[in-house]
Amino acid sequence: MASDRAPTEPPDPLARVPRSAPRSAADDPETVLIVDDEEPVRRTFREWLDEADLDVHLLAAADAEEALNLANERTVDLAILDWNLGAGSDGLQLLEDLYVFNPDIVAIMITGYAHQATPLDAMRMGVRDYLDKNQDLDRNTFLRAVRRQLDRIRPARRQKRLHTGLVAFREAVERVLPLVQTAAALNDPLSLPEVVASLFRFLLRSTGARDGVLLVRDYDPARQPAELCRAYDVQGETLSTPLVPFSRSLAGAAASMGQAHLLNHPGESPLAVELQAFERGRRSLLAAPLTTSPGLQVIVELFDKPGDGFAESDRQLVTAAADFGGEVLRHALAERQSHRALFEAIDLALRASDSLSATLPSAGSQPTPKQAGERLLKPPPLAVMEQLSESLGGPGPHTVAADDALRLAEAVRTLALKHGPAAVRHCTRAVESLRELLDELGGVEEAGP
Amino acid sequence: MSDAAPPGPSDVFDEILALVRPERLLHDPRATGEGVRVCVIDSGIERTLLAERFRDRGQELQPIEGAVFVQGRAEPLPYDGRQSAPHGTTVADIILTLAPRVRLFSADIFGPQGSSDAEVLIRALHWAVDIWKCHIVNLSLGVPEQRLNPVQRRYQLLRAVEDGYFKDVLIFAAAANEHPLTHSYPAVFAPPLLSVDKGPFDDPLGFDYALNERIEFRAHGRGYVGPFASEPATSWAAPHLAGIAARLLSLRPGLKPFEVKTLLYWMSRHPLT
Repeated sequence: MASDRAPTEPPDPLARVPRSAPRSAADDPETVLIVDDEEPVRRTFREWLDEADLDVHLLAAADAEEALNLANERTVDLAILDWNLGAGSDGLQLLEDLYVFNPDIVAIMITGYAHQATPLDAMRMGVRDYLDKNQDLDRNTFLRAVRRQLDRIRPARRQKRLHTGLVAFREAVERVLPLVQTAAALNDPLSLPEVVASLFRFLLRSTGARDGVLLVRDYDPARQPAELCRAYDVQGETLSTPLVPFSRSLAGAAASMGQAHLLNHPGESPLAVELQAFERGRRSLLAAPLTTSPGLQVIVELFDKPGDGFAESDRQLVTAAADFGGEVLRHALAERQSHRALFEAIDLALRASDSLSATLPSAGSQPTPKQAGERLLKPPPLAVMEQLSESLGGPGPHTVAADDALRLAEAVRTLALKHGPAAVRHCTRAVESLRELLDELGGVEEAGP
Repeated sequence: MSDAAPPGPSDVFDEILALVRPERLLHDPRATGEGVRVCVIDSGIERTLLAERFRDRGQELQPIEGAVFVQGRAEPLPYDGRQSAPHGTTVADIILTLAPRVRLFSADIFGPQGSSDAEVLIRALHWAVDIWKCHIVNLSLGVPEQRLNPVQRRYQLLRAVEDGYFKDVLIFAAAANEHPLTHSYPAVFAPPLLSVDKGPFDDPLGFDYALNERIEFRAHGRGYVGPFASEPATSWAAPHLAGIAARLLSLRPGLKPFEVKTLLYWMSRHPLT
């Protein structure tokens, strides 16, 4: 029998592009292929499926050759096959050929003699149901059989899509990571050692100090160790000397004072702090905290001004210098922190991807379609959410709490799974409308820190 | 009774208060701070260091208790006797130098992270007043005006200070006079607390009433232990006046904040000789 496809229209080059281009699995409904050599049968099946509004993409073919051509262009998820296709070919043979295009294909076999079918082979090939033309084939039994198979196909297909997405995500991240690292190295506009050296050049020249050290303390209670201290000399080089805990250091005292302070003849009064190796034996000292960023304390220490030591005028000068020095340092440190935050975020994303993969079933423990569907509609496991939350909550100007952002993302994900991409597009439009409305009502302002 | 004409009302007070000489009050052997509970809201206190320091002088300190207040946590963390930074230890040492028998409480609001905010300060204030039942609170710290926005936050801090006042707690706050263009809180909440600037006094017990903007008192501004203690600072002036108040309270524990403030005002008009 002839095919019921549109016969010989000239191909539309634009229309062909989507077929040959890699299709987006996330956007496509399931594809159902009807293969029967009788045109009225194909037409009837089509009508039943159209009326049932199953949100599937329907294809129909009159014979094996046409069916295989279609399968070559589009992945077929469910095949409804006539057992006897005429011209010596049968549905089971066709199914075997279709399996090459999609190993996950399942089929409903339409036959006039179901009792004679070879169930074992057929099941192995993906036949999941039989409908006997002579006994139980009507609209209801047909649609019930199709719905039953679609209910099985859809969760498994979503799961596969998720796996594919994760693999693509990992590949993309792993591909981009070396590029990011290279770019970070090339684009580092402010080298920290250079900034420190420049600051000291100015301070030593202005105050007459002989030497100096810049101490940077980074505290993060979630990290081990929570406190990281580093000292830089006047050339901006890192000092390798062991440092005393910040809380018992002169720098810690200067930080707690909140402003520049002098310490001439330090040996004459009880200090109640432990001196760093580079502070011992100094005759005079001027220490000033620099304002940088939360969690980061930076203190500049100047040593040994000849004569009577540092004076009030030096303190004032260093106080002023600390303001702009802090600004420049903040910039340099922020660059580093943003690079670090980026790498950490990528690392966390990869770990989140691993966790998510681990929660999906392995080949050996296939869940029931119902279980798979339910799991996909649930939020990701707590560990994954925490990792994503951490990555969102890293350094940077966040205007929305990480948890809130994740909740929004999760709501959109659930929407997409339940109602498809159109619902997500609608959601995006709704958010944009709300933003426009709020902008109009309240005026647009820069987001605060 | 004297045959002299009865004195006018101002003379009565002059006569009575003339008996209240600073020497008599401050040098009374009972004026040690005994029975007075003082909270130092600061960067923690290095307990061992102070104990050894006073033991060397033959003085045994009362046990120092405390807690560490951190952002985002209602209950404070336990105090392990360590400072987060030396500032609080210098402040505590000043109070103990003037009133060695006080019972000190360390409210460390900076903690290891080295920063704090108004919410943490307010919680520590409430803790000092309601849990530790302190009579005196020392605040050698300042919160810039811009960090007390929105204005409700400023009122929350004011209410915490007022709450102390109505529970007869003396709150001493250092004036941050290094920033003449901005107000520093809570020192500018002058009426319910005692705001203190540093003054040119050689005697640690020296102080005066010198109303300047919203700052009422000045006190000795040098400390005794700590890297920057020898440099005059309002941070060191506030605990000097707190220590003086502790001496007064140990003589008459029931004095109310306004009575102590009046006494201090009166004493400042009759400086130590």
